[in-house]
Amino acid sequence: MTPLAHYLILSGILFSIGLAGVLIRKNIIVVFMCLEMMLSAANISLVAFSRAQGTEGVPVYDAQVLALFVVAIAAAEVAIGLALIVAMFRARKSVESTAITSLKD
Amino acid sequence: MEAAISSILFYLFAAIAVLSAFGVVASRNPVTSAMCMAVSFASTAAVLFCMGAQFLGIVQIIVYAGAILVLFLFVVMMLDVKSEESTLSRLPRAIVGVVIAGIFAGMVTKAALLLPGATEGKCPVAALCCDEACTTDTGATDKFGGPLPALKETDTKEISGTKALGETLFTQYNIAFVILSFALLAGTVGAVALGRKIRKD
Repeated sequence: MTPLAHYLILSGILFSIGLAGVLIRKNIIVVFMCLEMMLSAANISLVAFSRAQGTEGVPVYDAQVLALFVVAIAAAEVAIGLALIVAMFRARKSVESTAITSLKD
Repeated sequence: MEAAISSILFYLFAAIAVLSAFGVVASRNPVTSAMCMAVSFASTAAVLFCMGAQFLGIVQIIVYAGAILVLFLFVVMMLDVKSEESTLSRLPRAIVGVVIAGIFAGMVTKAALLLPGATEGKCPVAALCCDEACTTDTGATDKFGGPLPALKETDTKEISGTKALGETLFTQYNIAFVILSFALLAGTVGAVALGRKIRKD
């Protein structure tokens, strides 16, 4: 079987690609997609740890329950976030993160 | 042989997931980003299947690749988003972002490889180049980072793990589950409240 370390490395790489997207991109919708990728990357390492900690081939299901909670929270977060993006587009006519500068000016 | 196939499939789907994640960040058109995200989530689900978490893999496909992706596509098409400026104008930003993310990825990789037993197998697909002796080790504590223990053989009629996952969810974590459903309700109400047209007067 694949070592636990490789699952963790995959999870870390996916997470950091998402992090790079959040830092680089200006389009808020794409930034939000990258946030979702970071959440699902965290799920991979949760499930990998649940397999590695289990004894006699039975995984520790607590970690998988936590991963399930992460998915549910991600769904709620997307509903709120996209509503915020639509509200921002109505107010500013743009979805670029550079358009929100009223606190700076 | 079975372990070898599952290892090869893991590396294949991991590569697809990473490449399509690059596509999400790199593509200028948000619709292309969303499509790359679908591929990335589907291969993440395949990786979860490789680990024997069938229920979570299915949930990943249904919730992420189904519901969340469709929401993203709806918003992208509703808002008529234009493509971003050329990559040259955001080069300094890109360099800073890539450096920070690279440092993070390096840290995670180093930490994962420092786990006890992480570098046990010399070749990545261990089952191809050694006998059953090095794939079946049950010492979970001393070689924590090493190969994952094989799943227990279950009855073929029962989908492995889903029943036990449900038992854990509805006994030990029942209160958390109820609170989570309130969080979802709050999310729905919030989305409706934010989505209303704001009256000027």
